[in-house]
Amino acid sequence: MSNPQVELHITGYGVITLELDAEKAPKSTENFLSYVNKGHYNNTIFHRVIPGFMVQGGGFEPGMNQKGTDAPIENEAKNGLKNANYTVAMARTSDPHSATAQFFINVADNGFLNHTAPTAQGWGYAVFGKVVAGTEVVDKIKAVKTGRKGFHDDVPKDDVVIEKAVAL
Amino acid sequence: MTPTVPRCEELAAPSHWRTVDLLSDLHLQASEPGTVAAWRHYLQTTPADALFILGDLFEVWVGDDALDDPGSFESRACALLQAASRQRALFFLHGNRDFLIGPGFARRTGATLLQDPTVLVWQGQRLLLSHGDALCLQDVDYQRFRVQARSAQWQEHFLAQPLEQRRTQARGIRAESEARKQSGAVYADVDGPAAIAWLQAADASTLIHGHTHRPAEHTLAPHLRRVVLSDWDAAAHPPRADVLRLTPQGLERVAIVPT
Repeated sequence: MSNPQVELHITGYGVITLELDAEKAPKSTENFLSYVNKGHYNNTIFHRVIPGFMVQGGGFEPGMNQKGTDAPIENEAKNGLKNANYTVAMARTSDPHSATAQFFINVADNGFLNHTAPTAQGWGYAVFGKVVAGTEVVDKIKAVKTGRKGFHDDVPKDDVVIEKAVAL
Repeated sequence: MTPTVPRCEELAAPSHWRTVDLLSDLHLQASEPGTVAAWRHYLQTTPADALFILGDLFEVWVGDDALDDPGSFESRACALLQAASRQRALFFLHGNRDFLIGPGFARRTGATLLQDPTVLVWQGQRLLLSHGDALCLQDVDYQRFRVQARSAQWQEHFLAQPLEQRRTQARGIRAESEARKQSGAVYADVDGPAAIAWLQAADASTLIHGHTHRPAEHTLAPHLRRVVLSDWDAAAHPPRADVLRLTPQGLERVAIVPT
């Protein structure tokens, strides 16, 4: 069976197509698809954009209003997938198993985010897919002007909005 | 708490740590027993709750299998570390001499291997720890070698050779490097703009590193500083052996004087 794909339609930027690795990251894939299918990501923003590192989104509406989420999931960072350029992984708090809806797209090879040990320090960040079309859209997003907004750094000056996320 | 992704590896110091020591460039080797003795004395007497070794603990490391021989210099040196790690937290990040230190070393000594760089979050401050070699951008040949030698392919190839062959090869490389030093070659220092970029990316204000053997404190920008560790050489006149010690009062350089 082929891997599921999801399109992120970014207003004014274009479409990013993600291919999810349902085999190596079954729980993260199922979790992401569940948020996609109930429309959670529609009208959310990429709220943390750091060129040379990653772009993070899926948790805030325009205006930095944080959205509610479902229960956190198990961290699948042990699956061997690396935080390489244009891969997508789950964001989380300092608790390894705390990912909910927010995800990030690596815009560099971030080896230090990979799993190294089953400890709080070494769990790493679970990669569950990659960009298969629209890398140029990702490149445009990572180049936007950012600044501080409330408690958050690296917030785009102009909202980068996911108009809708669609499972193919 | 909002989900986030740290910009570089982060280590939050547990609140019970009162004293943290940072050191590097001991270049431990069998032919320098004085430095080994100073190191042993230091490990037995430091009041530190945690020890951060920022690379080049060993003059050379040809593979963790050097620890399979209980009589090897590496085994004896690691026994000292193992004893020390029972009393305090021990961390290590790679230098340019001992970049082949791996999980076998960590298991034997109880040390935790850190990525270079790592942010140490200590009492509300963010300190960026590195060996420093990756920032010496003007050493172009070395940077080229560094990229190659850190690749899985190069390491697999090197480690596939018999231990003795690796030791011979390492001696050869070392002799070349000594000859270069004797011929008066000038070594690059840490690149200022690159250091500033690292600090900004890590949202840190202080970079602590070794590698250059040029102990000093540099102001890079009004709120950014670079603090350089000393190397150790007990046979030098005067002997060199010191650590940077973090306490709630701040960062100070402490000389290790064997008694």
